[in-house]
Amino acid sequence: MSEAASKPAPVGRLRVAIHAVDLTRRSALSRVVAEAGHVVVGAQDAADVVLADRDCPPGETRPVVVLGGIGHDLPGVLSRDADASQIDAAIRAVAAGLVVRLPEAMDTGFGAMREADSQALLTPRELEVLAALAEGMTNKAIARRLNISLHTVKFHVESLFRKLGARTRTEAVAKASERRRYETITL
Amino acid sequence: MTDQPDLLAQFSSALAARAEAAKNAIVAIRLAHGRHITGMVWRSGLVVTSEQSLPRSDEFELVAAGGSVVTARITGRDPSTNIAILRPAEQLASPSIAAGEAHTGAMALAIGADGTGGVSARLGLVNLAGAEWHSSRGGLIDRRIVLDISLAQREEGGPILDAAGACLGMSTFGPRGRVIAIPTTTVERIVPLLLKDGRIARGWLGVALQAVAVPDALRESADQSGGLMVMSVVEDGPAARAGIVAGDIILSVDGVSAHRFRRIAGYFGSDSIGRKADLRLIRSGKVITVQTTIAERPAHE
Repeated sequence: MSEAASKPAPVGRLRVAIHAVDLTRRSALSRVVAEAGHVVVGAQDAADVVLADRDCPPGETRPVVVLGGIGHDLPGVLSRDADASQIDAAIRAVAAGLVVRLPEAMDTGFGAMREADSQALLTPRELEVLAALAEGMTNKAIARRLNISLHTVKFHVESLFRKLGARTRTEAVAKASERRRYETITL
Repeated sequence: MTDQPDLLAQFSSALAARAEAAKNAIVAIRLAHGRHITGMVWRSGLVVTSEQSLPRSDEFELVAAGGSVVTARITGRDPSTNIAILRPAEQLASPSIAAGEAHTGAMALAIGADGTGGVSARLGLVNLAGAEWHSSRGGLIDRRIVLDISLAQREEGGPILDAAGACLGMSTFGPRGRVIAIPTTTVERIVPLLLKDGRIARGWLGVALQAVAVPDALRESADQSGGLMVMSVVEDGPAARAGIVAGDIILSVDGVSAHRFRRIAGYFGSDSIGRKADLRLIRSGKVITVQTTIAERPAHE
């Protein structure tokens, strides 16, 4: 048993056991956890939370956050490319007895094919502007990237707001990503 | 004085008898972490369940009526209709299944497996019985059956019975946790196909597409206001081999407009596999036609 595990972690600092088959992945996750101020402990040590890559270790009874996990009953599920702040927030929440899910997971279930609203379809140019908005670019930067005038960028942004029913840039990005889930098909 | 029959007590006993009788019609399908879902014992001893909740595994343990544990292998799964079938290693006695017709407002009894060989039951109404519909995975479901029943996750995949004891369908979760039934007719249609091939073959181009508006300048030459923009191309897929790249906007396939998802998805049924298809698309501001051969959708796509 490592020394870190033998004594309880200070308040706000969690003992986290990491379960990942891939060694590179394991060390990357250890770094994220350590940089968030937590203590990485061995797989068998006393831990407040388990952070697992892809699969929940069989028979695991401690609170667990699974990256890329599937299963209704897991306490915490994040995507495999979750960022450091999401991982930190998830392990804290799960350790406190809460359940963590991605927004997409709230709308699973076997559903109908939805037709896109033909009046509100975005144009290819609007999608480019949207991608730039998602990166947090200013209108000026967008104009430069797409090689169009500032006036045209403003025109596209307004049109995006109207079609998406959004009032702010953040809201436009969020609504567009929500819609993309329904308006995308694979053939 | 004649015996006054207590209707409510009779109703209740009748329901309890139905639930008890249904224990031979279901199994629990064991999952990891002590969880399970429910399976319906189908004709010829097969087990039918909800595809979306069945992990990607070849073999499962079933708990049959009375608590006996039997292993079963996956025989086929179809995400487009949410139906999976398993074949138990030992033959289960198959109950007789009568297909019932769902009517809005009619009573519905949902049966689930309790995990130890017994049943759990839920009572409610058919909230809505409607027309056929297409799932987001492109499958045709013969009727829309929405239930006003709440269901535990372990009960998903069990039968929904009507007042006469006929099977309206298999219970499953729709969007936002709403409980729906996959109609018995759909199960009857899909099971033989799954038994034959293990899957429902679908045509495939190997692209992810997003509905977009055709830019104003191209409306006239495109002759339509919407299309499907290629967001990604699967390496070595039919579309990639035909030179299709991200950013192309598909307008039609063999003259079938790509404007409506349903129509275009309907064009990629099993009969489309191997067919040569002309894709009309917008690339770099021009409308061009590219020919490709529709392949079969790989199992993991």
